[in-house]
Amino acid sequence: MSDIGRIGPSTGVVPTEGAHRIPVLPRGLRRAPSGIDEVATEHLIVNMGPQHPSTHGVLHILLELDGEVVVAAEASLGYLHRGIEKLVEHRRYHQIGTLLDRADYVSGLHSETALAMAVESLAGIEVPEKAQWIRSLVMEVNRITSHMLWLGTFGLDLGAMAPFLYTMREREALLDILEAITGSRMMFNYVRPGGVLADLPAGIGVALDTFLATFDGYMDEYDTLLGGNEIFVERVRGVGVIDATTATAFGMTGACLRAAGVDYDVRKAAPYAAYAHVEFEVPLGTVGDCWDRYAVRMEELRWAGRLIRQLLDGMPEGDHTAKVPKGLRPPAGESYAAVESPRGELGIHLVSDGSDRPYRMRLRSPAYFNLAVIDEALSGGLVADAVATLGSLDIVLGEIDR
Amino acid sequence: MWGLGILKGMAVTMRNAMRGPITVRYPDQRLPLPERARWAVSHRYDENGRPKCTACLICVKECPDHILSIAVSRTADGGKHIDSYRYELGACMMCGLCVEACPYDAIEMSHEYELASADQGDLVRELLHDVDAASPRRAASPAKEAADA
Repeated sequence: MSDIGRIGPSTGVVPTEGAHRIPVLPRGLRRAPSGIDEVATEHLIVNMGPQHPSTHGVLHILLELDGEVVVAAEASLGYLHRGIEKLVEHRRYHQIGTLLDRADYVSGLHSETALAMAVESLAGIEVPEKAQWIRSLVMEVNRITSHMLWLGTFGLDLGAMAPFLYTMREREALLDILEAITGSRMMFNYVRPGGVLADLPAGIGVALDTFLATFDGYMDEYDTLLGGNEIFVERVRGVGVIDATTATAFGMTGACLRAAGVDYDVRKAAPYAAYAHVEFEVPLGTVGDCWDRYAVRMEELRWAGRLIRQLLDGMPEGDHTAKVPKGLRPPAGESYAAVESPRGELGIHLVSDGSDRPYRMRLRSPAYFNLAVIDEALSGGLVADAVATLGSLDIVLGEIDR
Repeated sequence: MWGLGILKGMAVTMRNAMRGPITVRYPDQRLPLPERARWAVSHRYDENGRPKCTACLICVKECPDHILSIAVSRTADGGKHIDSYRYELGACMMCGLCVEACPYDAIEMSHEYELASADQGDLVRELLHDVDAASPRRAASPAKEAADA
């Protein structure tokens, strides 16, 4: 990996031993490739973000450019750092979820579930069957809302305005459903250690049925709008290739890893909630370019719809939560629980010292690992493709900076 | 044929341009909130119009952001008197943990959602001011209180 501090000739013509001796140029300067020795050119460092609209939040990327070509890229993080991991050490176990909603604010139910699972394994709490199914159901609904936001903004990044407006329509419908279930549109605080806050409200099955009846048609619409659009296809195919070796080396997970053809999905690898009881496929890509990441997520969306149908149909009867004392004091020890969030493996590592607050909590943010590859993914590509690659990684800064 | 996909996309856009609106004209029209929607915290009152709050301070301890504070004094007959129940609306994240913790059902997450204000003072509310707290026994069993009276 090259870094911004060390700038040297990379894609330009390397001066060869010639008739006349070439003077050593200052760092960062190189000779014009045209043979006009007097004219030296220079790499340009461009700040992309933190106010850039396609950096999905407050990401600051330093791009080192050689003309139109990206030579190196470095992500500068921390603009959204709130110290959530530290704040958690001062919260009781049932209060932590409120903060985790704000870590990955696009798919809060996933981090809540990861936390609940970590606390349950620490304290040895048995979760009722129904709670597991409700968790899976709301997580899949949340996955669609998250992917819808990604799909819309990915289109926006590439200059497609219309899909954004239409994806917001579906997202709204599902956010209304989530609000009816959890009480909030994004900051859910619904999944608790031991189960979920409340049973599914009456009529939610009908609302989801109504949504699912139109969902596949809408997905076809997006496929027409984006996947069938020649301009879009040319902007994403073969762009920002992250092969399987690189992806695994960087610890990437989720759709970005599966786009490279690596079959790893936490829902299959270590089934949690109700995923062992439902049937679904994990879509895989081949090359690992932006198109594969797009196609994998689109297929995931369709599968999420089918999963919601299965989970609704198979919803067991029973309690929605186990009895858990408010001042929960798990025995001293450690636990790790991971879920497949829309971005990848979201893990919570909890260390308990036997008190009512965790000694330490570590959030394994999938988007952080997916973003780490940015230098490899952008280098050598065109600057115009940088937004496409970045958009296809589907990052959420709230989770990366924490 | 190159461009056919773009034309098909245009057809989709055209179809959407022809359909009716999917939004409502807020604030003239409003969508109903689901029952569980959580917005600003408010107090509940008993049938006599007295607050059900017993000043037990459980909500204060439960709030993850420490935005609730109750000033309590003792009355002559040994009961509790709430001088003020302060609620920092601007810092509230509407998680609902205080309401879940309240053993007397004295507070609720209301459906008041138009909370923006040009005055910073509106972001701190005094929900209760200078009222006698309900006695825990009375709040727990209204029937018993009726029998006493």
